[in-house]
Formats: sequence, C-alpha cells, structure tokens
Amino acid sequence: MTHIAIADQEPELHHPRTFIGKYIWSQDHKVIAIQYACTAIFVGLVALMLSVVMRLQLGFPDQFDFINPNMYLQFVTMHGMIMVIYLLTALLLGGFGNYLIPLMVGTRDMVFPYLNMLSFWFYFLSVLVLLASFFAPGGPTGAGWTLYPPQSILEGTPGSGWGIVLMLASLAIFIIAFTMGGLNYVSTILQARTRGMTLMRMPLTIWGIFTATILGLFAFPALLVSAIMMLFDSVLGTSFFMPAIVSLGEATDYEGGSPILFQHLFWFFGHPEVYIVALPAFGMVSDVLSVHARKNIFGYRMMVWAIVIIGGLSFVVWAHHMYVSGMNPYFGFFFATTTLIIAVPTAIKVYNWVLTLWQGNIHLTVPMLFAIGFIFTFTHGGLSGLFLGNVVIDLPLSDTFFVVAHFHMVMGVSPIMVLFAAIYHWFPLVTGKQLNTRLGMIHFWGTFLGTYAIYLPMHYIGFLGVPRRYYALGDTSFIPDSAHALNANITIAVIIVALFQLIFIINLFWTIKREPKSRINPWDAASLEWHTPDVPPRHGNWGKELPTVHRWAYDYSVPGVVDDFIPQHVPDSDVTYEPGYDRTATGREST
Amino acid sequence: MKGFSALTEKPWLAMPDGSIAYDASGGTPPAQIALRFLLMVISIAFVLIFVTFLTRSQYPDFQALAGEPWLPFNQSPRLWATTAVLVAASAAMHWAWHSVKSQKPDGVMLGISVGGFLALVFIMAQWTTWIYLANLGYGVSDNPANSYFYLFTGLHALHLFGGVLAVVRVFIRIGQGCSIDQVAVAVKACTTYWHYLLALWLVLFFLLTRTPEAYALLAAACGLG
Repeated sequence: MTHIAIADQEPELHHPRTFIGKYIWSQDHKVIAIQYACTAIFVGLVALMLSVVMRLQLGFPDQFDFINPNMYLQFVTMHGMIMVIYLLTALLLGGFGNYLIPLMVGTRDMVFPYLNMLSFWFYFLSVLVLLASFFAPGGPTGAGWTLYPPQSILEGTPGSGWGIVLMLASLAIFIIAFTMGGLNYVSTILQARTRGMTLMRMPLTIWGIFTATILGLFAFPALLVSAIMMLFDSVLGTSFFMPAIVSLGEATDYEGGSPILFQHLFWFFGHPEVYIVALPAFGMVSDVLSVHARKNIFGYRMMVWAIVIIGGLSFVVWAHHMYVSGMNPYFGFFFATTTLIIAVPTAIKVYNWVLTLWQGNIHLTVPMLFAIGFIFTFTHGGLSGLFLGNVVIDLPLSDTFFVVAHFHMVMGVSPIMVLFAAIYHWFPLVTGKQLNTRLGMIHFWGTFLGTYAIYLPMHYIGFLGVPRRYYALGDTSFIPDSAHALNANITIAVIIVALFQLIFIINLFWTIKREPKSRINPWDAASLEWHTPDVPPRHGNWGKELPTVHRWAYDYSVPGVVDDFIPQHVPDSDVTYEPGYDRTATGREST
Repeated sequence: MKGFSALTEKPWLAMPDGSIAYDASGGTPPAQIALRFLLMVISIAFVLIFVTFLTRSQYPDFQALAGEPWLPFNQSPRLWATTAVLVAASAAMHWAWHSVKSQKPDGVMLGISVGGFLALVFIMAQWTTWIYLANLGYGVSDNPANSYFYLFTGLHALHLFGGVLAVVRVFIRIGQGCSIDQVAVAVKACTTYWHYLLALWLVLFFLLTRTPEAYALLAAACGLG
C-alpha cells in the first residue's frame, strides 16, 4: 500500500528564494545529491592521485625522493579509506540515492528534507576532518585502511597521534551523516511512494539502494563503536583493544586488551560494506542493461530476492577476512561455507544480466558499454573471491597482491564501472544534456582495458608471492625479476588509466559548456524519473499532481505493442496494440 | 503473509485501470518509521559493545565494580536514585502522550517539560557519579571495567541529550502556536524514545553492577566464555 498524503507533501516543501538557500543550504534532494556527488568525486580524485604516487614507488622503487616509507603507508591508508567510504558509499547512496529515490518512487522530496541537508553537511565536515589530517602534525594515519590496533596507535606507525584521531573522528561524523541520510531513504521508500508504486514495481535501482541502506544502518554501528573505543584507547589510555605491549623499546601503559575484538567489530561492518557498495551498483546496472538492451530485466522477482538474500547473508561472512588472525577450525569452516553460499544469489544476478542481454536489441551506448564492462570485471573479481573464501587458499594468498587484485576488481573497478554507466545514463536527466559520446567511448575503452592491464598481472604477481603493504621489496630472493618488470608495467597502466579519467572530467565540463540540450528522455526509458514535467526536474518534481504508476519499469519491446516502450505511468487503456494482436496469448494480460 | 504476498506480486502484469490501491490517510508517519530504524541502530551499537564487554570481562585484568564490600557499586544507592529519576522522566513523557490523546494542551506542555527536565537531571546525576568514581580512584583507564562504565553511561547520556534537543524543538513548536495534532507525532516519538532509553539504562544498570561470577555465567551463556 502506498501513502499518497506523505508522497504529495507540496505544502510542506521548503521553496528557497536566495542563492544560498537554493544551492548551499538546500533542502532539495536533487541539489543535495549533486553536492554529495561533487564532494565525493573531488575526494575520489585525491585518492586516485594517492594511488598513482603509491604505484610510482612500487613500480620504480627508490626513484622518487618525495616518497618515503611513512608516506607510502599513509597514502595506502588514505587511498583505501577514501575510496571505500568517502567516494563509493557517499556517491552511490548520498549521490544517486538522493537523486533517484524521490524521482523513481514518485514523491516530491525526501520525507525529512532538513535532515537530508544536515546529512550532506555532516558528510562534508567528515571529509574536511579527514583531509585535515594531511596537514596535522605527523600527517595522516598510516595504519592501513583497516586501522588494526595495536599498531594504529603505537608510536612507530606514521600518524599515530593526530592522524588516527582525526581519522576516527571523521569516521564517526561520517556515520552520523550516513544515519541521517539512511533514515531518510528508508522512510521515503517505505512510506512515500506514489499511487500504484508497490514494492515490486520499484526499479531494481531502488531495491539496491534500499537494501544497501538497511545494511549500512545495521553495519555502520560496528564501525562507530570500534572508532569510539579506539579513540578511548588512543586519547584516554584505556585498553579495550590494546594489549600489554612494548613499543620502541619501552613498555606502554596498556594492559590486557584484545586486538581481535577490534577485528571482529571492524569486519562485522567491513563485509556488509562490500555490499553497501555493491547492491546499489547491482540495481543500477540492471536498469541500465534493461534500458539499453530494450528488453525487460530477466527474472525481476529473482533479482529482488537475490538482493535481499545477499544483504542478509552479508552479515554472516565477516570472519573470512580474519582467517590469518587464527580461529577455531569449525568457525573457519562455517565462514567459508557462508561465503560460498553467498555466491549463489550473486551468480543468479550475473546469469540474469547476461540473459537480459540475450536476444535483446543491444544499443552499444556509453552507459551500456560500462554496464557490460561491469559484468566482466565483477565476474572476474567474484571468481577470485571463491578462491579466497576457502581457508586453505586464503592463508598463503592473504598477504599478497592477489588479494589486492581481487578486491580492486570486485569492489573497486566494478562499482566504478557502474558509477560511470550511471553518470552517463542519468546525466541528461540531471543537466538536460547528453555527455559527449566520442569522449565517452575513449574514456570507456581506456578505463576498461587499462584496469585489466593493471589487475590481471597483479593476480599473477600475487601468486608469485609478492607481498602487499611493502614500501619496497628489496633483494627478495623468491621474487623473480619478471615480477619487478610486471610491477613497473602495472604502474605505467595506472598512470594511463588515471589520465583517461581526465577525459571524463573534461567531458563533464565540455558537455555542460558546449553541448546542446538533448531531447527529453534520450534513452527512451520507461521508469518514472524520466517522465517529470520539466527536465531537469524542478523543486517538487511533479507539477500539480503526482503520477500514478500502472506497471513495472521494464516494459520494453512488449509483444504486440506499437511503441518500443511503455512508461510506468501510462495506463493500459492508453497503450496502442498492433491491429489484430491477441493480448491474452502472451499471458501479460492482467485479470 | 502481507510481506510475502508483496514480494510474490507479478510486476510484469499491468494494473487494470481503476484498481490501484493507495492509502489517502497517510499511514504510519515517516517519523515513526525512522524512529524504529534509529532504535534498531542504537540497539545494534549497544549490543556490539555488550559483546565486547562480556568478552573482555573474562580476561584476567578485568576487575568488576561490584561483588566485594569495598567496590563502588556493591551497594549502589546512587545508581538507584538516578534510575528513579529516569523512571519519572519516562512517566512524565508518557503523561504528555496521554494528554495528546485526550487533547489537553497543558498536560502536553507539563509532560514534556518535566520529562525533558528530569532527563537533564539524570545526565547531571551521571556526571556526579563519574566524579564520585574518579575521586575513589576508579579512573577511566585504570581498569577495563571502569572504562566500560564511563563508555556505556557516556553514550547513554549522549543519546538522552539528543532526545532533550528533540523535546526542546517540540516545546518551541508549541510555543509558536502549533496545535496538539501538529506535534502529536513528535510527542509520541519522544515518548517512545524516553521509554527505550529507560529500558536501555535498566540493562546497563544490571550489566555494570554484576559480580565476576555473574559475568562468567553470562559470557558462558553467550558462548563468549
């Protein structure tokens, strides 16, 4: 049942009149989404630069004076944390979630617009606090993105003073921001859908965002708790996680704490975090594939159930990140089993994406290319995950570049391919202009082939035993010269891929400045967001009356129908069928 | 069954014209939905700290704050007193909600004022308990049991303070002329939140004043021993 009084909250909308009210302290979900997106992309570019510097050191050790061991560890840490939390989570949920939820479910705005605004500014503050650590005494923390104690707060680790405190404070602020946003998303989806928008008529994008938000709401408390407790350990000298330990030759005041407790808390958040990033991406790629293949998504209900099941299972696999920490063999068996089970609904989704393409009228547009690219990278990343889910294989590979290659393929490259697909796909809705296709094609091929040039050899050097997290390998006898050569090649590929991202940035500015307005709904999409009275949608989204939804978002190439697609808000009585077509023959006729 | 039927709907079938169901009355207010999720979020955070607490309580350096005559919470009149304050705060908020239902504006104002004020008194009382503990030599880093006491009570007080801010907002809205119906959802949310924080405090009170033997039993029961 949908609640039209909540969705149609026009009288309560805060209509800004000043520039500041409209673009700075805005309560319009679309402006907030763009604020989220710009901040996330900016901070993501910072993280990209950090990865280039790291790769320069790995590919050409000791060639660059401006990189020292401490800086290397700090850059690794900041790169990882920024990419996972401040770019991917923020852009997928804060950016796309904010923009698409009200438009796709047919409401005027989020149910708590003021809270939504606060959510962005808290996020912005968390980014500022995080970036401030670059300028703090000792620099940012170099503890690795997992921030494991005891090393994260011991003096030998770079950034063990201000760096780790600012990181933990930033994470706490981010989680407050996420909670404010998350409560908004969930409440809006559950209570503010327009007439006819039943749960099972929501586009898969919304299902992905909805489930990921619930995962975030339930998983981020683990990170918040661990951050607060570690702040206590670091600032107040408590021993929640800190064991009795000698640091730099001197006994510390810590006593009896358990670093393993931190690891459990961290990964109780950390593994669902993979799906907080992946599920919105799954949803968005499903919609992009369906629109650009002009075919309904294969197995919609199965796709919804798979999203929900993956979300549930993601809470019972966390300890597969801790095999090397040691655990009862029965626990290892349990977590290996759950990890392999989660591959089943995930595989169902991959099959359904491929089957959506099967016999579709595939348009190789830029969004479609990125979406297909995602299927490749996600399948490869997922398959190496099956290796690592097994204890006996994980133990020797865990501290090698094989793991780095695995998680970059599965939760780095794959969601970013979807992000690009989504940006190219929804850009005409946000700006009224279509991103330049030629530049987009160059961007896609450079990124897609480039990432394979980076990560395929990285799997190989991992198999050879090249360890991760090392500033320099030195004269390590078991590592052959070929691995060093591959490392150099990977670095060159990274630089090339980074340069290709500049093409994307140029494309954004070029399109906004130079490209003419595109036609409304240029992809002929059926979902609701493309059918607002104005493009880009105005504040309040839907003119005088909210749309009524009559069908799902995937009516493409419907047999017997004259038009190529039927928008969600078009009633059956307005659909034109081919003369003489028997509507009952296909079983699509409702009763 | 309602949820199951929703998830087994056949979305590829278009809805016949005129058959689209919706609730024109509004249904459950979003604030209530959001509050339910918020309470789940807070519960998860505290449950996770409980788990670390019980695990940590089984390590040799953990010295419980009760169980021997000389320990600060072996007899805990101070905590019983703060508990009484919180119970009264919760009752006052409940009175406010009752007044909303019976359309008595004065009762609403009185209920939320007393409820908010007593919550502040509780926070102040917790603060004096911290000073009391510190003066006895039970500093935050002296022992993990102390650390957990400060952590738990601090987080609980912080959540209560957030609730006080919400109550102040309701107070201001009423002062600005909002009718009882316009603040009804907010008053109900505040009441639920107060009851929840009282229940949470009772759990914390129970947990923080147990003996080492009780912790061993609890930890074993939870598979953490």
